Parts: sequence; C-alpha cells; structure tokens
Amino acid sequence: MAQFRAKKLDLGCFVNIMNIRDHTKRKVFEAHEPERQALRYTIRNTSLPQRTRAQAQLQLSQMHCYTRPTQIRNRCIMGGKGRGVFREFRMARYQFRLNALAGNIPGVKKASW
Amino acid sequence: MAAPIYVESLIGSVKRLRLSPPKPSRIPHCSRRCLATQSPSSSLTSTPKDASVIPSQRRNATVVSSESPSLRSVRLPKSVQAAYLAPLRRPPTHGLPVCDLQLRSYSLRNLEVYADFAMRAAYYLGLPAKGPVPLPKRIERWTTIRGNFVHKKSQENFERVTYKRLVQIQDSDSHVVGLWLAYLRKNQYYGVGMKANLFQQSGLEMEDGPEADLEAETAKIEAALGQQLTMLESQLESPEEVEGRLVDEPFKAAWGAYGPMGGAGGATGAESRYQPVKVVESERGFAKRKEKSEGASESSS
Repeated sequence: MAQFRAKKLDLGCFVNIMNIRDHTKRKVFEAHEPERQALRYTIRNTSLPQRTRAQAQLQLSQMHCYTRPTQIRNRCIMGGKGRGVFREFRMARYQFRLNALAGNIPGVKKASW
Repeated sequence: MAAPIYVESLIGSVKRLRLSPPKPSRIPHCSRRCLATQSPSSSLTSTPKDASVIPSQRRNATVVSSESPSLRSVRLPKSVQAAYLAPLRRPPTHGLPVCDLQLRSYSLRNLEVYADFAMRAAYYLGLPAKGPVPLPKRIERWTTIRGNFVHKKSQENFERVTYKRLVQIQDSDSHVVGLWLAYLRKNQYYGVGMKANLFQQSGLEMEDGPEADLEAETAKIEAALGQQLTMLESQLESPEEVEGRLVDEPFKAAWGAYGPMGGAGGATGAESRYQPVKVVESERGFAKRKEKSEGASESSS
C-alpha cells in the first residue's frame, strides 16, 4: 500500500483510511489492467504452447493484490461504509435516507402507492 | 383528454392579470368572471402582479391604467396571441423521420413547458413536428431501513419517477434540424435532459462513375484505419518484448525459473539438469518401430 499511496490526498469525498485504500486500489487497477488482461488472455488461449500459458499463470499470480479488480469495493462517499451502498447514489442506506428526506437528491421522494 | 399542466398554469396567470394597480378592497371572484368574458388580447395588455415585477414595470402599469380605454382595443401580434394557444403544426409531406428528440425529467411541469417550447420553435423554423408523445414513465424504488442500526422491521420506501416526452421532426433538411437543436440547447431549461437521434437519407446511385467514388472511399477508409492502427501499435508492445518478459533475465525469477523444481517443464536449460532415458532397440524386427519412435521423439522435443 505504501508504494502505491499518493503523496498528496486526492479524494473528494469523505476521507477515511478505508476510502483512501479503496481509492488507491482503483488507481493501481486502472494502471495495470492492460497487463492483467494480456496475461489472462495468454492463459486462456488454447492455441498457445503450454509453457507460455504456465508462465503467464505464474506471472499473474505474482502481481500485487492491489491490481486485482475483485479487491475494489463500492464505499459510501458520505460515511465510508462498505455495506448497504446504493450504486446510483454512491451512499449507504442511512445517509441516502437522510439526504433524500432533506431533499438533497434530485427526483427522489417518499413513495406511496 | 385532460388538459396538460401548462394550460392550467396559464389560466392561473390570466387570473392574476388586471388592468389597474392593486386595490385592497378588490373582490377576487368578480374580476375573474370579468376576465373570462373579455378577449385574451385586451386582458393581457397590462403587466401581471408578481413579486418579481421590477419597479420600472410597475410604473408602466400606472401609465397603462390611465390610458386603459384606448389600449383595451389594441390587438396583440399574431405570434404573441399564438403563445397563449396550443402550438401550431406543419403538415408533413412524406412522413419520413429526420430527428427523434427525447426529453426526460423528474418533474412534469418544466418538461411539458419545454416540450411545448420545442414544438413552437419547430413550427417557426418550418419543421413538421409530431408530438409531444408521452413515453412510458420509469419508476425506480428503493426500500431502506429507517434506522442506522438493526430494526429491520421498520423500513421506508423511496421512489424516483422519470417522465419522458418524444418530439419527432419529419421531412426536413438536416441543417435546419441542427439549427433547431442548437436553439433548444441555447434556451435549455433546468431539470430537463435531452437526447436526439438524427436520421439521414441518401440515394444509392453515386454522382460520378462508380469506380472513382469507390477509390476515393477506399482511400478514406484506409487513411482512417491507418490512423487507428498506428495509434494501437504505438500503445501495444512488440511480441519480442512480451516474450522477453517471460524468458529473459531478470523476469524469469518472477515465474519461478530458479525455484526448487527449475520452473515449468521445458524451461531453458532443462536438458542440462535432466537426461532423458534412451531405450536401446534390437535390430531384429524392431527397425520400423525404432524409426517411428525416433521420428516421434524428435517432433515432441
């Protein structure tokens, strides 16, 4: 994490150590995504020799965990919560409710039908 | 069919209009009945009583009231009168769509007013317009727990409704349609999103001979593709570079070439560490099989 962390904080939302780490993971993944995709393709291509595929597999496993997309988790931008986060609003359920009732989210209102 | 919301708001504005400055002892229902019987042009010559009216307009109101008898008979221009009536439409000649403008909003009021504005602008630019067609609304609902911790049984529902309207322009020149879209964008209203699909028709015949046009087209396509390919090539690594990452020093260590088993089978230098067992074939009767096995071993190694 120390090797990838930005020298100057570049977060716009709620600043939390978890948010900082998630943001760093996203940046590292973005930087290494082409390399990862190339290795994945090499592994899955059955027309390549077995040796190349095995080498690619080993190299993929040696890559830093921050390059993996599965490590990225959507977090709440208001509270940094990792659970119960809505994708449309990037907020967790309680913050979404507070902001919706305050009228800060355009178009959202209390449903009654 | 129910009247659209903007007509109701205009009726409300007509109710607010009056010819003289506001008096405290005015009876509201009398004035409304008076305005309903009058023609729209005469009742709308005065300025409306709004909180947003600037002082200079109020002064105009006093001037109007003193000369109201002569100004009552003044007829407004046709375009101003048309603004208080339903928008006019041009009849289409062939019915071929040229532009599909979709308007989306979370609220109906400004959406309907803006759709109406788009229809009027299309009429004045000479574009046959169909619409505004109401497309099915989209309702998104979310159910959240009221509290921030446990208490799952008490939840709250939220929803967001997206209203849509479609305005279709038919049988028009693409340049004029572009002008209309630019005008709409210049006068865009808050809270209304726009999306336009443009259609163009062209003939199948080519103007000059077919060969000349084909050559020009192929040259154009090659130039465009060439640009794209050079862009891609500059970003990609050469196959030698990719292979070098797996085979050359010091990258070999990354995939375990110097590990206990010497890396994957078939790694460089494997023959030096491990001697394959050679089977000695006897001459009698095994000559053909030996040749076959030698050929097979040569191809596999």
